[in-house]
Amino acid sequence: MKTNNRHHWSFDYNHGAQNPQFTQELIGTLRGCYTNTDTHGRQAAQTVKHVYNILPNYWRGYAGGDTKKELRIGETTVERTKNGSLWNYTVEYENTTSGEHLQMQFCCHDDNYRSLIDNWRVTVRNSGNDKYSELTSEGHLTRDSEVRLRINGTEIAGGVVDKSTKMTCNWALFDVIPALTQTVQASGSGIDIVLLEDLEQLRPKSKIGFLESIQTPMPLDGYYVYGVGLLPSYWWLDADGNIAIASTFFETLVLREKIEGST
Amino acid sequence: MNERPNIVFINTDQHSWDAISAYGNPYLHTPNIDELHRNGTSFRQSYCTDPVCAAARSSWATGLYTSETGVPFNGGHLHPDIPDIGQVLRADRYRPFHCGKWHVPGRNVRESFQTLYYGQRSIGAGGAAYYDSATTHAVADFLTNYDGDQPFYLQIGYVDPHDVCEYLHNHEEKQIPNPVEHGIVSEDDLPPLPENFDYDERETVLHRVCRRVEDALIHAPILKAVQHWDELQWRYLIWNYYRFVEKVDAEIGRVMALLRETSQHHRTLIIFTADHGEACGSHRMFQKFTLYEESVQVPFIVACLGDGIPIEKDRVDETHFISGVDVFPTICDYAGIDTPEMLQGISVRPLVEGRDVQWRDSAYIESNYWGRAIVTEHYKYVTEYKPKIVEDFLPPGPDAEQFGLAQLFDRQNDPAETENLVTDPAYSEIVKVSQDKLLAQEAKLHRQEIVHPHPKRVISNWGERLRAYWQHNR
Repeated sequence: MKTNNRHHWSFDYNHGAQNPQFTQELIGTLRGCYTNTDTHGRQAAQTVKHVYNILPNYWRGYAGGDTKKELRIGETTVERTKNGSLWNYTVEYENTTSGEHLQMQFCCHDDNYRSLIDNWRVTVRNSGNDKYSELTSEGHLTRDSEVRLRINGTEIAGGVVDKSTKMTCNWALFDVIPALTQTVQASGSGIDIVLLEDLEQLRPKSKIGFLESIQTPMPLDGYYVYGVGLLPSYWWLDADGNIAIASTFFETLVLREKIEGST
Repeated sequence: MNERPNIVFINTDQHSWDAISAYGNPYLHTPNIDELHRNGTSFRQSYCTDPVCAAARSSWATGLYTSETGVPFNGGHLHPDIPDIGQVLRADRYRPFHCGKWHVPGRNVRESFQTLYYGQRSIGAGGAAYYDSATTHAVADFLTNYDGDQPFYLQIGYVDPHDVCEYLHNHEEKQIPNPVEHGIVSEDDLPPLPENFDYDERETVLHRVCRRVEDALIHAPILKAVQHWDELQWRYLIWNYYRFVEKVDAEIGRVMALLRETSQHHRTLIIFTADHGEACGSHRMFQKFTLYEESVQVPFIVACLGDGIPIEKDRVDETHFISGVDVFPTICDYAGIDTPEMLQGISVRPLVEGRDVQWRDSAYIESNYWGRAIVTEHYKYVTEYKPKIVEDFLPPGPDAEQFGLAQLFDRQNDPAETENLVTDPAYSEIVKVSQDKLLAQEAKLHRQEIVHPHPKRVISNWGERLRAYWQHNR
């Protein structure tokens, strides 16, 4: 076991099949982003789009085992546009290991929790060479706070939300964490939230907490998120309120580009 | 019901028997598997055939033990002449579909089944974070578009909670701080250490060489890392493991909801089990590859969410020994087709229908090519074959002359397997009876020589290490 991590343990995956590319890719991606993109002033923008590279954290095997020319295994785009007192989100997630390309569209209140509003929609395409090629899931909340999902037209129950806890989508955490920094840090043990992961799986009893601040590879504040059925993930916020790195146990999203607009 | 049912075989990976809240575990929430349990019969004495993915799965696919299939470890290769369940069902006009993890090396899943989803990069050992939700999507697509004219067989292979292996591998190369000191979780959140964290070190040579020595044959870097763990880090492993179980439980819940809403539930039999368990700190061990209970005992539920198939529901069968070899004949029984000759398994259908039948009085398990165990109501006997002087690649046994070291556990008085009784003279007769039972079971097996070069290399290399240990540690 190494005793000196090169970077914070939550996103130090410069080992296994990735060696030595992970750090190069992570730092290179961040450097490109922060050199070429104006990451300041996010609060004023009416449209914000973040593009993330997906780097694999896993030990070996699932990407073929060998060092690859390009470590990146996909891309995520989180775009939100303010519309009055609401935010409209479009998230694209493409992963060349699973073969799935998800497009998620949802709407949130303009509050710190980005509370999820009816109706949301997920469109999935599969690039794998099998029978399954696409799927559509539409969801809504009933008056009794039950999540209902209509998958290819068949409606199923998706769980009941505890009314005392705010519910949002995990992809809105890119805005929830920056908005709640003071609340989370003041809370000590973290704040409660319900997440609807990928607009499909309800993760009750989830928690956002403050981890620590670091200076390498750049000044970042770290937060953790976990819940029932939700393994801990780590979210690193830059000084201007952008999530620069988001790392689950399996993949690391690294900010590649930020685009802002006023429309 | 008179017509042939749909059969859905849902399997999880590395899922110990007790990692289900319905069975009394207070440290995780598995509402969907709990519901499956309420709608079916659960078997308490359910064992995998071999506590590692590929080996156990070769038994599901063929109804044979792993010294018969050619897959006695992850790097094995299924003998080409053995039919798999997909081929057998297809030959009798059942429509076999596969979705998710397969991991039976030597058999192309796409040739034996119509695959709904198998990943853009084909699914290997792990990767639940990517593959499991996609697997559920594919099942959803299938169920919402199924025409319903013909009965189908659908096997759904979820990878989780196997991704706990990623959690462990993550510790190989870096220092991860204590999560309690870091404020991520509080000590009260963490499950306690298992009561058998400390263990009786009188284990087989095979187990020591594979899992205990510094240069262990299996995952030595993880072994090296966990030697530095304190109690809280072990408990955090268990905490994480339970989150992986909850994750896959939610996927299973989606499949169950879809079966209901597509009105397939009345005519669909569900078989749920796992390929092997997870040690989770028991005997200061992680992952599988051992013959201790946490590694070999797995959930096994036969259920129907509707009322179209006679099943005794909300019942735990505490007495009958179930094995991974029983999956194949159970599927064939419900499908109404004959099983191939020489099958080792038995259909559990009479048991779930509450009928009295003659049944085996033990479970037989193999491990790491040379390891063997026989579990009876009162005792578990574990032993090993010494590696042959000249390896002929015919899986060993039955041959009492070649037995190595052994363990005997009193299951009634020491269910946590903390005291090895094998050298206690008071148990010499029990040892003899256990050996005889093991040898009798082995005499029924139809072993074939391993011919594929990769598993032959593994056997040669491992055998060399074992012989060296025997020579230097008499």
